[in-house]
Amino acid sequence: MADDILLDLLHSEIVQYVVGNNDNMKDEDLSTLEYIGFSTGYRIIERLTKEMPRFKDELDTMKFICTDFWSAVYKKQIDNLRTNHQGVYVLQDNVFRFLSRLSNGKQYLEVAPRYVTFTCGVIRGSLANLNIQCLVTAEVQSLPSCKFHIQVQRT
Amino acid sequence: MTVHNIYIFDKQGSLLFYQEWNRLKNSGMTREEEAKLMYGMLFSLKSFVNKISPLDTKEGFLYYKTSKYTLHYLETPSGLKFVLNTDNHSQGVRDLLHQIYKEIFVEYVVKNPLCSLNEPIQSELFKTKLDAYIKQSSVYLTKSM
Repeated sequence: MADDILLDLLHSEIVQYVVGNNDNMKDEDLSTLEYIGFSTGYRIIERLTKEMPRFKDELDTMKFICTDFWSAVYKKQIDNLRTNHQGVYVLQDNVFRFLSRLSNGKQYLEVAPRYVTFTCGVIRGSLANLNIQCLVTAEVQSLPSCKFHIQVQRT
Repeated sequence: MTVHNIYIFDKQGSLLFYQEWNRLKNSGMTREEEAKLMYGMLFSLKSFVNKISPLDTKEGFLYYKTSKYTLHYLETPSGLKFVLNTDNHSQGVRDLLHQIYKEIFVEYVVKNPLCSLNEPIQSELFKTKLDAYIKQSSVYLTKSM
């Protein structure tokens, strides 16, 4: 469908733009990209949850992220959700959409962080609007699979 | 029936990709020289066919055949050129070329932000997908006769 490819291409152009604006090449600054993701996630959650009841607890919210939210944005569900019940969640996507065209192995591994940062921001923004403050990092060992680590900040 | 090799050229005529499967005879020159010759010949054939045609051509040059092999040619509206050499018994190669363009090239080169469009294709994923696609196609069924 046309709207899928639009998101894919726009996303890769945004990545290109942000990376191109970096002056020093050895330490890439992807915080702009993360912030773009954050505000996108913060806003999209209003639209996705307008018909939904309130969530029971944190785990319920995470399940929503893994199923409904992921299907809406990435057209598939998260393949694996794990948690230690103390505020750490690991979401694993075996064929992550923004990595699926790049490679299926180790090629391009060093630039993979560029293509997952936006999504880290989207997750953080969505959870922030659902009253969960957290840190989101991503880990890519072998493309196209990707793990998102969510660490909830308790106050 | 068998597939010999494939060339992909961009609209400026530089070689983006080459791969061979059952190629028994080498041209005895470097890949770059061979690609230039190939492109030059295709360019001439194309304009020759268009000029000599007694009727208005719709698609222009499609393929040529020698006693030993057939060269199939597909040019997209954007000027990309796909060239596939097969033996003389192969059927439906034009569809195959279309599918390669649509399902392999667009998917794994155009949609890959790390592949720039005017340079030789480096992506391993594209290479493996193309190889698998050719090998499962009906044109590739048996070894050369």
